[in-house]
This record gives sequence, structure tokens and C-alpha cells, in this order.
Amino acid sequence: MNALDVDYMLGLMPILLGYLPLTLQMAAAGMVLALILACLMAVVRVLAIPGLNAFTLLFISFFRGTPLLVQLFLFYYGLPQLLSVLTQINGITATIMGLTLHFSAYMAESIRAAIVGVDRSQTDAALSIGMTRGQTMRRIVLPQATRVAVPTLMNYFIDMIKATSLAFTLGVTELMGATQKEAAGSFLYFEAFISVALIYWGVVELLAWLQRRLETRLNRAYQR
Amino acid sequence: MRHMLSAAMLAVSLGLAGQAMAQDDDQTLKVGMSGGYFPFTFVEQDTLKGFEVDVMNAVAERLGVEVEYITANFSGLFGMLESGRIDTIANQITITDERQKKYAFTQPYVYDGAQVVVKRGNEGIEGVEDLRGKTVAVNLGSNYEQLLRELPYSDEIDIRTYESNIEQDTALGRVDAFVMDRVSASQVIKEKPLPLALAGKPFSDIRNALPFRDDQAGRELRDRVDRALAELKEDGTLSEISQEWFGSDITQP
Repeated sequence: MNALDVDYMLGLMPILLGYLPLTLQMAAAGMVLALILACLMAVVRVLAIPGLNAFTLLFISFFRGTPLLVQLFLFYYGLPQLLSVLTQINGITATIMGLTLHFSAYMAESIRAAIVGVDRSQTDAALSIGMTRGQTMRRIVLPQATRVAVPTLMNYFIDMIKATSLAFTLGVTELMGATQKEAAGSFLYFEAFISVALIYWGVVELLAWLQRRLETRLNRAYQR
Repeated sequence: MRHMLSAAMLAVSLGLAGQAMAQDDDQTLKVGMSGGYFPFTFVEQDTLKGFEVDVMNAVAERLGVEVEYITANFSGLFGMLESGRIDTIANQITITDERQKKYAFTQPYVYDGAQVVVKRGNEGIEGVEDLRGKTVAVNLGSNYEQLLRELPYSDEIDIRTYESNIEQDTALGRVDAFVMDRVSASQVIKEKPLPLALAGKPFSDIRNALPFRDDQAGRELRDRVDRALAELKEDGTLSEISQEWFGSDITQP
């Protein structure tokens, strides 16, 4: 085995970093949409809204029960064979959709756990002073649940960033796809994959730092 | 935080709009390739290159259309063709009976053979007949798996399918050999720092061509591209491109 080709890595890094924005954009868009969907589903589950509750259960069961790659293939290659309009969906959109649906299923459950985790007496107190169920949820329960949910949601976001590496299968040249193609041109696999690993790692570390700051902020009310 | 996210979403949707417009253009030949098959299609310094790229550029120039390259994992390429996201695949697609039932092929533009490749110094394998009891890597979705399965002793071969990196895993000794087309295997050995060697002679004829969807529009486009290929063969452009990449003419039988 040859020694590590550091010059090659230094030349490759800026090229790969050029693909980082797309990776982050897909993850960020997926995260925002997944959060919205997950919150809705969590509320449906907690309030056990008839009809919607059963649908939510089925949704969570499917999207948590099948691999993300299978879902991406289904949306991008499978469904257009049934409905040709869906061909209009491009790889980036399909990836964001896949990330949204897949991760919202997980996130709905962890948000639900955070909501259920807020002491029952808080709800009773809010209802006793005349707040409606919706008001209680919005003003009393959700703010407290947010603090509990942040660490796990951040975990999912980190996972989502890395899951964007599947997008090359849908023809989206993101960070991982760019690395694979560069490695095919140079055959310096180790150098190429070490470089991309360092980039992912660096991004996740940065997020972990942001998470610590966010948590400190959310904890302010609980500090003496 | 909120501003950052909405900015990101805006950027994504702008990107989407741009891509959607590119797709509506009829004067663009959309060519899918893996970008991971040296020296046919690969990337160096962020630039897509290779034999296939040069051939398709020449075809597009002859047809007077623009060419757009869409790279994806090999396993996704046929799905993209089926769902109408690309017009054809330029990735050394071998003509097989199954594929011919499903797709409309142009005439072959590369003539090649299937080749066994081993780690340098592995004397135990000198050809396809020595693969009994061995572990052999092939690329997922390629037709080499099929070729191996057609061998009379195929049940004695442990065939492993890979998304990519079969050269690397053979060099590492994780598998005993891999099977690829002779042309690119020779090229890999010549140009890249991996300890690999050809084992014996090619064991099957391979003809590679461009597949199109087998519907009216697909067949019409196929006919136009086919004529362009014939002209490029005629005037020597194809053999020139081949000489440039391989030092030999692989575009003639």
C-alpha cells in the first residue's frame, strides 16, 4: 500500500466542500418539513384524535419500518411508473421528500414522548384556570416539551445530514456522490473517503456545539 | 436560526426551478452515466471526463443538440431511463437478450470481452475456469454477474455484487478476483496504483451500445443517434477518440 497522498487530499478538499451547501440545504429543508409534520403527528397521537390517529400510526409504522433507501427508490423510480406526472419530481425534491417522511416518523415519536413527559399536573392546572386544550398545549406543554425534545431532535438532524449521502442513487451529486466520482478518477479511495469523512465529522461537531448553546439557552428558566 | 433555514429553503427551491427548466428543453440529449467507471466515465478535479463523454459530445455535435450529463450510482441509471429522466445511458452498457427485450439499442460502439482480474502475484487463478471455489466480485447491475451465473460450474463460485470499489477490494485481498471488461481492466492496471493483474484471456464477447426507451419517441431518438454513430465510425472520429484513451481501436469488432 502506498503512503497517504496528502497533496491529493489537500487538492480534493476544496472541491468536495463545494458540494457541502447542497448536502446541508437538503438536510435543512428536510429537517424543517419533518419537524412540522412530526409536531402535527405527535399532537394527533397525544390527543388521540379519532381517524387521524389511526392514519398516523400507519404512517409511522411504514416509514419507520422500511429503510430510507427503499423509500427513495419507491418515490423516485417506482411511483413514476404508475403515475407519469411524478417524473417531474427531480432528485433533490425526492430526497427532501424522502428525508421528511422518513425522519418525521421517528421525530413524531420522540416529540410525543417529550409532550407526555410534561407533568400531568401542569395540564390540570392550566385547564383549571380556564385555558382550552389547544391553549394548554401551545402555552404550557409545548414550551416545556421543546426543551426535552431538543437533544433527540438534534440527533435526528445529524443523522439526516449523513442520510443525504443516499441521494447519489437518485442522480444528485452531493458530497458523497462527488467523492465517489473523484475516487473513481484517481483510485485513491482511502484519501478520498478520509477527506469526506473529515468533512461530515467537522459539520456534525459544529452542530453539536450549536446544540450545547441552544440547550443552555433553553435551560435558563431552570437555573438558579 | 429561522432566517438561516428559510434562506436555505429558498436556495433549494431556486435550485429546483433551475433544474426543472433544463428538463423542459427538447434540444437537449440527456445522458446518464455513473461517473465511476475509469476510463469511460470518471471525475478529476470536479470535471467529468472519459471515453463516453468524448463519444457523446461528438454525437451531440453531429446531431446539433446540447448534451447534458446526469451522474448517478450505476444501480439508479436504468430507473432514471425507465422513468424518463434521461434519454440514454452511456456507461458501457452491454447488449444482452433481456435488455434487448426491454430497450431499443443503437449499433455497438465498443467491442470488448469479459476479463478476470486478480491481485498481483495470485498464481492460483489463470482464467475463468479457475474461479471454482473462489470469491468473485462484480458490479451491481452489470451483466458480469449474469455471465458468471451462466458458467456450468457457477454454483461453485461465490459471487459478490458491489455498488462500487471492486478493484479496491480485490487489491485488498477481500475477494479473490473481479470480473470487468478487458479494456477498462487493462486501463486500471496500467494507470492506477493498485496491485492487480489480468488473469488469462477474455472469456466472452461483449458488444456495448446505447439503450433508449422502447417507445415511439425513444426509438426515433435511437435512430437519430444511431445514424450519428454510423457517421462517426465512418469518418474515423470514434477510432480517434478510442486511440486517445486506450492506444487501440476498441470501436471495431
